[in-house]
Amino acid sequence: MIRVEDLIVRYGAATALDGVSLSVARGEKVALIGANGAGKSTLLNALSGMVPKAAGTIRLGGRFAHVPEGRQLFFDLTVDDNLRLGAFRLRERNPAWIYEFLPELGRLRRQKAGSLSGGQQQMVALGRGLMAEPDVLAIDEMSLGLAPIIVQRLAERLSELNRQRGLTLLLVEQSARVALSLCDRAYVLETGRIVTQGSAAQLSDSPFVVAAYLGSPVQEAS
Amino acid sequence: MSAFLSYLIHGISLGCGFALVASGIIIIYRVTRVVNLAQGMFAVVAGFSAASLLDIGLPHVLAESVAIGAAAAVGVLTGYVAVGKRGTNPQASLIVTLGVGIFCYAFEVLIWGDQPRSFAGLAGSYEFFGVDVPKQYLLVTPITVLVFVALELFFERTYAGKAMTACASNPYAAALQGIGVLRMSLYGFGLGGALGGVAGVLLTPLHPISYDSDVSLFVNGFAAAILAGLKRPVLALAGGLLLGVAESMVAGYSKASYQSALALLLTLAILLVQAMRRETLHAVEES
Amino acid sequence: MSFDSRSATIVALAAAGVLAAALLEESALAVYVLLALTATVTVGVSLLMGHAGQVSLGHGAFYACGAYAAGVLSTHGCPTWLGLLSAPFAAAAVATIVGVPLLILRGHHLAFATLALHLIFLSLISELSITGGDVGLQGIPRLSLAGITLTSVRSYAYLSCTALLLVVVVAQNILSSRPGRALRALSSSEVAAASSGVAVGYYKLAMFALSASFAGLAGGVYAFYMGYLSPGSFPVMLSIEYIVMAAVGGLGKVSGAVLGSALVFLLVHGLSRVATASGMPSTAPIILSYAVYALLLVSAVLFLPSGLVGLAARAAARVRARARARHSNGGQAETPLAAGPDQPAAPEQVASKHGSFS
Repeated sequence: MIRVEDLIVRYGAATALDGVSLSVARGEKVALIGANGAGKSTLLNALSGMVPKAAGTIRLGGRFAHVPEGRQLFFDLTVDDNLRLGAFRLRERNPAWIYEFLPELGRLRRQKAGSLSGGQQQMVALGRGLMAEPDVLAIDEMSLGLAPIIVQRLAERLSELNRQRGLTLLLVEQSARVALSLCDRAYVLETGRIVTQGSAAQLSDSPFVVAAYLGSPVQEAS
Repeated sequence: MSAFLSYLIHGISLGCGFALVASGIIIIYRVTRVVNLAQGMFAVVAGFSAASLLDIGLPHVLAESVAIGAAAAVGVLTGYVAVGKRGTNPQASLIVTLGVGIFCYAFEVLIWGDQPRSFAGLAGSYEFFGVDVPKQYLLVTPITVLVFVALELFFERTYAGKAMTACASNPYAAALQGIGVLRMSLYGFGLGGALGGVAGVLLTPLHPISYDSDVSLFVNGFAAAILAGLKRPVLALAGGLLLGVAESMVAGYSKASYQSALALLLTLAILLVQAMRRETLHAVEES
Repeated sequence: MSFDSRSATIVALAAAGVLAAALLEESALAVYVLLALTATVTVGVSLLMGHAGQVSLGHGAFYACGAYAAGVLSTHGCPTWLGLLSAPFAAAAVATIVGVPLLILRGHHLAFATLALHLIFLSLISELSITGGDVGLQGIPRLSLAGITLTSVRSYAYLSCTALLLVVVVAQNILSSRPGRALRALSSSEVAAASSGVAVGYYKLAMFALSASFAGLAGGVYAFYMGYLSPGSFPVMLSIEYIVMAAVGGLGKVSGAVLGSALVFLLVHGLSRVATASGMPSTAPIILSYAVYALLLVSAVLFLPSGLVGLAARAAARVRARARARHSNGGQAETPLAAGPDQPAAPEQVASKHGSFS
């Protein structure tokens, strides 16, 4: 679904990504862990075409939807409008299935996006990304600023989608806990390079990962 | 009484013209976050073009339509210069539109000379409560209302309108959804140009237009746009009418030369009140 | 930015200015005077826009204010030297009074407000009888300072040069002082400036008033030079011209203001000579000057965000970097500091060679 080889991205004189290679197969749930400034958002921006690449190859095997960091909703527009705009590239723009999938949004549909709580906004952002009928959904810092229980709920919904529709997931997170509990595999990105990768189980046991990104060993999601 | 009515009617037509100019400024701001200082030029271009086209024999509605089209084209060009280059921030674009406006001055004088021009609109007048109302006035107001209704519907009800709003609301997110931000911006500028063109075409029969009448038109249009908070065109209609009537009254009852100063002071006062309310809002939030 | 190089450059500017005033012939001196006065105003505009980050579309109003203050006082019995002295203070006073409410506004609101200010001021002086109304103020007496009456163009050339130098020196000192450095913080982020204990509002107002006083001073000299004032001498276009000059030269840099003024002014003047030559239509001067202003403004904003001074600084930095690379690598060319087109060169580079003005 996603194959990246030796990707290099520069901002002026600074190199944000220095030869990154990774791959995500169809139906997988993969996490990308890294600290602030490691280049995670840059990678997603490169995948969705928002920033140009200086070198390397990017191959996407289907529709790619990027849910950006900080939700980035259209605050002056309603929830319904935000969702519909997610399907800009498509002909079919009916958000009905999103309201089924995320019932909480149903009663918020006429509210201005700017007036919602953080968790609600994240749901709208997710919904907007899903409206594009993607094969791969990449989410940047889903858990940022959200209460753990809300993150849990979102994670459950995403798992559902992965199971039912085979939606491939790429989760980018600073907080490895969430990422590793939801995903099967993970990469760790540091200052523009992949420093380690492996299955979620392997990484949660790795002392390096534990020290840098986790306070304590990860609990398996129940 | 009839003097009052005549000032009122004149003021309403004037106000409609301001409102149309204001709507162009608002639309462009809504789509691109850029304040277009060249907005008055679109009106002047349209007015002059219509006059010339009528001179060479084109029939009425056709000449005006072509003129509006010309204004729209100028709008798109302005937009391209103002936002076409990647990384131009809105403040810089503001100054660029100023430059484009000045260039238009030069261009207009080159083609049409520096003398004021007008053309005959609807001939004749109606009598209305003892006041002679030139028919042209009766054309201006309904058309303006129609334009505003159309704009309101477009931006509040249509998908395209929402997409354009999204562009200014969050260009990054808009681009992520596949909305072509540059293309939308150019549409916005084109639409703004057309709106300015409508203003020019409607107003020129009432007031001869010359290459520097755009300053007064712009200032009033901008004032009306500011009063609308640069957001909803409908408010600009109210603001424009307020300014138009106020100026007309001042011109009628006192000295004509005070009218623009008064309009400006009024606008500044409202701007300051708005800003001060925002400041206290911030202060409250911080405490 | 050594003190020596700064003062050395001021001395150089002074020498050049005095020399030109002494040697140029009368017809060229007329251009000189207006150029020097324009540059004086532009220094203020450039600092305001570049350093304090405020767009002023109405600085012509302060120019007019100083001119009319000097003119009105002198035509009503005041000694001329007092009239001249009052000009910058009058402008500063108006700026302070108007600035208190106005500077609450930001961005395009402030731009509009300053434009409105200019228009309102024009309206005012066209109405008041004390300013001569639409017709204007006539019969402003010749300026006499310390017993010498200035009658020749050359004397006004010296005077305007002095005014420019005065303004440049003041601007330099302001920029390197504590308030000046605080202002530099201001223009990058108001939140940061406020949290570091800088009284944001106070400094903004002070900067506004100071730049107005520069314009006022120039206006005062203008009044005595012309002997006659009318609202038509101060159109809105004048304010725009200052912005063009400041942008072309480089916002926030005193050297930029002077350079930009000289370039644009002489270019436009040269073009209007061409345009008023026989055979050209009467509208040619307007067409050419407006077109030139427009093209310069747009080009400067889009392609030279730090103006000509910034361009020169980057070029100098590249030359120096390459020279240093050649020294250390024994001849290998590539410069370690390949700055992109939008990026300013590293500060220490700019300082040594181009630290002449700010």
